[in-house]
Amino acid sequence: MRLAPAVLALTLVAAPALAGVDAVLDDHVLPGTAAFAQATQALDDQAIDFCQPQDLAPLWNSAMDAWVRIGHLRLGPGEQAALTIAFWPDARSAGRRTLARMIAAQDPMGVHGDDFPQVSAAARGLYALETLLYDPDFNGYEPDSYSCTLVSVMAHDLATQAAALDAAWREKFAPELRTAGQPGNATFLSMAEAERALFTALHGGVEFDADQRLGQPMGTEDRPRPQRAENWRSGRSLRNLTLSLESLHAMATALAGHPVDAVDSAFDAAAYFSLAITDPAFQDISDPQGRLHLESLQGRVRTIGEVLISEIGTSMGIAPGFNALDGD
Amino acid sequence: MRPISPLLLAAAIALPVSAPLTAQAATPGEVLTTYADIAEAAYADAHSSAETLQAAIEAFLAAPSAEGLEAARTAWRAARVPYMQTEVFRFGNAIVDDWEGRVNAWPLDEGLIDYVARGYVGGDDNGLADLNVVANPSFTLGGETVDAATIDAALLQDVLHEADDVDANVATGYHAVEFLLWGQDLNGTGPGAGDRPWTDYAQGEACTNDNCDRRAEYLRAATGLLVADLAEMAGHWTEEGEARATLMADERAGLASILTGMGSLSYGELAGERIRLGLLLNDPEEEQDCFSDNTPWSHFYDGVGIRNVYVGTYTRIDGSVVSGAGLDTLVAAADPALDTALRGGLDASVAALQTMVDTAEGGMAYDMMLAPGNAEGETVIMAAVNALVAQTRDIERAITALGLDGVSLEGSDSLDNPSSVFQ
Repeated sequence: MRLAPAVLALTLVAAPALAGVDAVLDDHVLPGTAAFAQATQALDDQAIDFCQPQDLAPLWNSAMDAWVRIGHLRLGPGEQAALTIAFWPDARSAGRRTLARMIAAQDPMGVHGDDFPQVSAAARGLYALETLLYDPDFNGYEPDSYSCTLVSVMAHDLATQAAALDAAWREKFAPELRTAGQPGNATFLSMAEAERALFTALHGGVEFDADQRLGQPMGTEDRPRPQRAENWRSGRSLRNLTLSLESLHAMATALAGHPVDAVDSAFDAAAYFSLAITDPAFQDISDPQGRLHLESLQGRVRTIGEVLISEIGTSMGIAPGFNALDGD
Repeated sequence: MRPISPLLLAAAIALPVSAPLTAQAATPGEVLTTYADIAEAAYADAHSSAETLQAAIEAFLAAPSAEGLEAARTAWRAARVPYMQTEVFRFGNAIVDDWEGRVNAWPLDEGLIDYVARGYVGGDDNGLADLNVVANPSFTLGGETVDAATIDAALLQDVLHEADDVDANVATGYHAVEFLLWGQDLNGTGPGAGDRPWTDYAQGEACTNDNCDRRAEYLRAATGLLVADLAEMAGHWTEEGEARATLMADERAGLASILTGMGSLSYGELAGERIRLGLLLNDPEEEQDCFSDNTPWSHFYDGVGIRNVYVGTYTRIDGSVVSGAGLDTLVAAADPALDTALRGGLDASVAALQTMVDTAEGGMAYDMMLAPGNAEGETVIMAAVNALVAQTRDIERAITALGLDGVSLEGSDSLDNPSSVFQ
């Protein structure tokens, strides 16, 4: 199925700026949101009949994989969906607190699919499912228990959100990006604005990997925070980082319209440094050697952000715009 | 690693619009001067209204009474009015951003400071979330015994604030004072704010909840620090101040500071962290002024502050007006339609925040708006979020229109210069 992009490429010779936006949408965004919708649907299908951790863990992991590949797309429909699908980091443990309260009170909102979207974002989505499937304080439930129904309802809500995210990108936001600068497009007044929006998401994704995925467990030198690592209970911390960087690399290449040597080198260097990490859940952060490896990797990831600005941003005449994660 | 030069990039992009800029009556230097003048006046107002708050608190502590506590609360609310209008200076000016955590850190695990209700849950990994220093003249921190027999500025500032590297350990600033004046808001998403009895400060037999003397000592120390911290920042914006000097040193970076502050406050901070997040979590503790329920007013004055620096006008607490050439004059010269759109956007967000205030004043407190299933509250909140997000897009456009893309801002998370990390 490489025919479509090839044909597309021919038409773009006269308008090189378009190559980036269309390529990002066709090669990266839309296949990614479709794969995420598919993976969460498979989880939902299984969770209708089976609710216990051993029944659902593999499918939950597939859904996490699919999410991590698109989690940086915090624009358009992804801006709010990123919070209700994947509420992390959760500095105040709002997810575990809300779930504990709901389970103790047998809160009817937790077991009625129609009401469930109204519950706290921290008690919905992939990370709430991780708590129920992997946290020993939560995952000992029996079939036919409140928690069992809660997991099924949560999986269904996740699949519904994923389908809506895919549809919103496909039917509304992708066309808005493609038609940037055309009359009637009030969202993007020029193709440069569409490029900037995608570049901001790309650059923000790299920052998220450095500051959150690595920065959260690193804490400070005196006070490392292993339990703030993403998905540490399911042991996915390193896997998430690796998949995210692979996906961001592909997005960068699509946006540039071709492989860029310096960008490839920067991503390759980070991948190489990640090989030194021995604990996939970053739980060895308190050990000086473990910390050194994570710090080194974080430095390489920050370098990627810098190289993206100099090699792709500058050559396309764009700088990152405001990021949803600016602020405290 | 090839060093990049964002300024060169900016110059290249700026070429098409640099001609109209020079033809304008207002120069970038004049615009920066107006911005610094507004900062100077707003921080001076924040400082003097904190002094008024301090006087009200001293009067209350000298002779505790219900009326005295209410007067102190009123003074606290009034003190927020100018302070919130300074928040727009935070993200674009490193000197402000580095200082801000001392005066407005939030959210907090208030059990660090004083007694809390039984249902209180602090952060998971915060061992100090229920330290209660008011009740404990001695405690252990990081394996060391801390002598807290006297509660003073040094204890708050150097020992307790951000203790154990946990951000939620907030011992100083507006919100610590707010907690000491109002107490916990135990009404969840129902009506009502914190309801601390004035007798928490009564001395002798009438004292409720114990340790009234130490509680008063804490309130006095925290208020004194707030006044001192605000005086320091007000000084930085005077004629010889460091913040003003940094701003004026590089016109292009100075203009980028203005827009960065506007955009970061509008989008990531106000629309995202402070407003949308609380709604998505239905969590009344995720509201900026969660003890006093003053949140809608705080959000409103944030919005007003963003507009102030764009149009170059600030109304002081005594009613006088500071004004001069605003950033709007430069944007209008480069792209009149964009100026119109951005002004419209700023007015629209202030109007949406006004609706939030009116809704709260009409009986639906901010935490009630956050309740799951409250469609009306959600509509009010999301209207403000959407207006703030929309104006951010025009702020980005203004950055491009003025040729400021890629201008490096030291110490700012957005539009920063990543290469500086390695220097």
